[in-house]
Parts: sequence; C-alpha cells; structure tokens
Amino acid sequence: MKEAEGTERSRRGFLGFLGAVGLGWLAAAIYPVFRYLSPQAPPDPFGEDGRALVEKITSAEVSQPGMGGNGKYGNRGLLIFRNQSGTLKAFDSKCTHAGCNVAFEGERIYCHCHGGTYDLEGRNIAGPPPRPLTELGVVEEDGLLHVYRLTGGGESEAGS
Amino acid sequence: MKYEIPAEAEERLPAPDTRSGLLSRWFLQRFPVWRTYEHLEGKVVPKHRHSVWYNMGGLALFFFIVQVITGVLLMVYYRPAEPWMSVQRIVMEVPFGAVIRSIHHWSANLMTLALFIHLFSTFFMKAYREPREFTWLSGALLFAVTLVFGFSGYLLPWDDLAFFATRVGIAEVEKAPLLGMWLADLARGGPEVTVDTIGRFYTLHVMVLPVTILTIIGLHLFFIQVQGVSEPDFFAALPPEQKKYEKFFSEFMFGEIPIWLCMGALLVAISAVWPRGLSPEADPFGSAPAGIKPEWYFLSQFQLLKLFPGKIEAVGMFLWTMIPIGILTVPFLDRSIPADDRGRLVTKIGIVALLGLLLFTVWGGLS
Ligand code: HEM
Ligand code: FES
Repeated sequence: MKEAEGTERSRRGFLGFLGAVGLGWLAAAIYPVFRYLSPQAPPDPFGEDGRALVEKITSAEVSQPGMGGNGKYGNRGLLIFRNQSGTLKAFDSKCTHAGCNVAFEGERIYCHCHGGTYDLEGRNIAGPPPRPLTELGVVEEDGLLHVYRLTGGGESEAGS
Repeated sequence: MKYEIPAEAEERLPAPDTRSGLLSRWFLQRFPVWRTYEHLEGKVVPKHRHSVWYNMGGLALFFFIVQVITGVLLMVYYRPAEPWMSVQRIVMEVPFGAVIRSIHHWSANLMTLALFIHLFSTFFMKAYREPREFTWLSGALLFAVTLVFGFSGYLLPWDDLAFFATRVGIAEVEKAPLLGMWLADLARGGPEVTVDTIGRFYTLHVMVLPVTILTIIGLHLFFIQVQGVSEPDFFAALPPEQKKYEKFFSEFMFGEIPIWLCMGALLVAISAVWPRGLSPEADPFGSAPAGIKPEWYFLSQFQLLKLFPGKIEAVGMFLWTMIPIGILTVPFLDRSIPADDRGRLVTKIGIVALLGLLLFTVWGGLS
C-alpha cells in the first residue's frame, strides 16, 4: 500500500518534471518563431540630413500652379502639388480614415475609397476621415524634390 | 494471421461462393471494421419539408473540393514574387487559365454562401443543442477559416482594387482593441501592405489554411458520423409512424450527386459568362481608384462600421462582435429540448441577426 503510494507519487513527480521540461522546450522553440514572424521596424524614410528624395513624380510635373499628383518618399506614398499662390505643398498620401491613398483634384484632396475630402491645407472637411493629413515640408534643389518632416503642428512653415 | 469474421457478419454477408461474398470476406479478414460498417449502415437522415437544408454542408464540401483542385492548378503558374504578372499570364496566355481562375473565384463565393446557409439552417433547426455542441463549434470555426481563405486569396492577384481593399480591411483590424494593432502588423509584415504581405497571405492561403481546414472538416464529419443528424423539434414531436427517414448510405449520398453535378455545371456557366476581371497592377504609391469594396461577405461589417464613424466607431465594433460571441455561446445558453421560452427567444434573436446581416449587406452593396 505504502509502496504503491510512493511509486504513484514519484510517477506524478516525473510527469510534472516532464511537463515542465516540455513547456520550457516549447517556449524555447516558440520565441524564435515569434521573432521570425514579427515584422521588422520599417526604415526611416528621412535620411541623415532629415530629408527624403521624392520619387515617381518630378518637379516638372508640379511646375505650374494647379499641377500635382502622387509620388513616393522612402517607402511611403506622397501627395504633392503647387497651389494657386505658387507654393509647393506636400502631404503623406495616406488617408487618415482607413489608409487609402488620396488624390489631388485641383480644388480639393479627395479619397476615392469612402469619399473622404480634404482642403488644400490637408484639413479634413467632409466624409469619414477623423484627422487632417500629415503635412511635409518641400525643398526643390537642382531640379529634384525633397521632403522633410515638419515639427510641432507644422502648418505654417511649408518650404518653398 | 487473418482476423476472424464475426458471426453476425457471416449471417448477413453474401454467400461465400459469390464474387462479392469473397471480396467482402477478404476485406473483413484484413480490416475488422464490421461494427463500424453496421453503425454507418444504420445512419439515417430525417425526411421532412425542411430536408433540403441538410444538403448545404455537403454542397460547401463540394465547393471546397473544387477550390482545392483549381487552387492547386493556379499554384502551377502563380508566382508570389510577380503576383500581378503571373495572374495576367494565367488569364491571357495559359489555355483555360481564365476559366480555372474564374471558377476558383466563383466557387469561393458559393462556398461561403453555402456555409452561410448551412450555419443559419442548423441554427434555426437548433442542431447545436446537446450532444452536438462541438459539431456546432467546429462548424463555426470552419466558417471563420473560410472567411480568412477569402480575405487572403483576394489580395493574391495584386491588382489595385484588391490592394486597396486589403489595405482598408486590415486598417479595420487595426482598430480592434488590445491585439488589433499587433495582429494587423503581423498580417501585413509591417505597417503597410507590401509584397511582404503577399508572402504571408500566400503561405496562409495555400498551406496553413488548407491543412487547418482539412483537419477541422475531418473532425466535423467524424462528429456527425458518430452522433447522427439531429431531429428538429417539430419532427421529433411527430408520432413514430409519421417519421420518415432516408438512409445516409446511400440514399442520401446518391441524392447529393445530382446536386453536385448541377452545381459543377453552374460554376462553369457563370465563370464563362462572368469571368473574373483583373484591374491594373497595384501601385502602392498611386491614388486609390474609385469602386473599392470588400467581397460581399464582408460588406455587412463594412457598412455597420461606416454607420458609426470616428469616436463612436467602437459602438459598431461592439454590435458586430456580438455575432461571433453569440455563435460561440449559443449551445451553452439554449439547451432545452424541445425549445422553451429561452429557445424561442434565441430563435427570434437569430431572425433579427439574419435580417440585419442581409439588410446591411444589400445596403453596403448599393452604397
Ligand atoms: C487548397 C486550397 C487552395 C489553394 C491551393 C488555393 C490557391 C490559390 C491561388 C494560387 C490563388 C492566386 C491566383 C488568383 O488570384 O487567381 C488563389 C486566389 C484566390 N483564392 Fe484560393 N486556393 C485554395 C482554396 C481557397 C478557398 C477555400 C477559398 C475561399 C473560400 C479561396 C479563395 C480565393 C480567392 C477569393 C482568390 C482570389 C481570386 C481572384 O480574384 O483572382 N481559395 N487561390
Ligand atoms: S480610406 Fe479615405 S475615406 Fe476611407
């Protein structure tokens, strides 16, 4: 009787030990898999000088007031246009509603996905977008366009 | 050493000097499955005015088989590194490529539709009650896996409609509390939908999900074979002489064959008349085209979320989350056979949920 209890206890002990080792083993296997599948942080689109080169749209395509379109900086979408007073304006093109890319439509910025509408300052004026677009500063240099991050609200200091 | 044939089998097997008698004995001496055979032979399906619904699960299975066949064929030419180009090649150059792709598209939709009907018909017949809770839960899981199949497959052609619809779809996932952001990043492989996302969706779509769904289908069918088909209350209440049954093997199964054949023909016909289109290649940096809409089976959700924009979006999320929660808990809430007051209330809630889903789907489709 006693002996049986003793073996029963040691059997349980052994099973518990096996369970613990098994769990440890599983954790050791899961962690690398988890890290493998977790996305890496995307590279910062802005280089060391704080600027990013604009691609897929050239300064010739925004040379006159009222001209504009979509391009990219780093691996992000960009909306860039020249407004009626001749200033270059640039926004990250990701709609603040659900992430479609917005389009420049002369009088306004429009998102075809659910009809989100922004004015030319990037303010959400109609439809579902909850926030204004993120504005970027623009510099034009040797016929190349660059954008940079505007700090602190950044509505006033759009570059030229 | 061969197995012995049980006496009750000897009584019923064809005479040992006939060919079928020889063959069945040869088999039973190697695989002693007479008990299982007897069990399956005794399986019946109730016959009543709502019997047609019993075919829906089988129909979904048929469409799934079509998906496996056409999907494997598509894999031969589909290349995740050149998604749009390779699908364009399937459609433009490969003989019958356009048809096979269209069948995969239509059969995916019909599979989802059949499961939808299957889910609601078993719900209204209250087939989830004891002892079939796990049949119901495994079925709910099958439905969920099918939705993920549809969502992941939809992105694979990498055309601009698919691209932005996926971007919007995952942005909705982002808004879910707690795990939403993490899950969205995990699905995309980063903060944006890129070709990395294709790698993830492709692996899911052709490997992880098929293995998962086959396992659950196996369980689901196993439960059904062991437990038999439930009798709805109105049928169970009939006097025994009025209850009619059909044998599962093979009357019911043979009854499915013409349905499957018709559906196969229907698939080919609609695929020929309405081939699946391919819009221009996705440009992750271009502006979104007009006409972005999710597949119809996500429309109701989409429309509900649109109703509650901005700060009150959580209300829409909450309302929508009630449906999966209801599905998962109903076998444990509504248990009385025959249905009591609570059972009837559950039926009414089900009707409201079904009408709501239909209304929001149509509304989402029109707007
Ligand atoms: C073993 C099973 C399956 C395999 C191997 C497979 C494979 C594939 C492949 C290679 C593609 C890309 C080609 C293309 O987009 O035309 C694709 C697309 C797709 N798959 Fe599957 N698939 C399977 C099952 C399913 C299931 C069960 C569903 C849904 C219920 C589904 C829904 C879709 C959808 C909606 C598309 C996009 C079709 C389009 O618009 O072109 N697939 N599948
Ligand atoms: S994503 Fe732009 S309005 Fe919805």
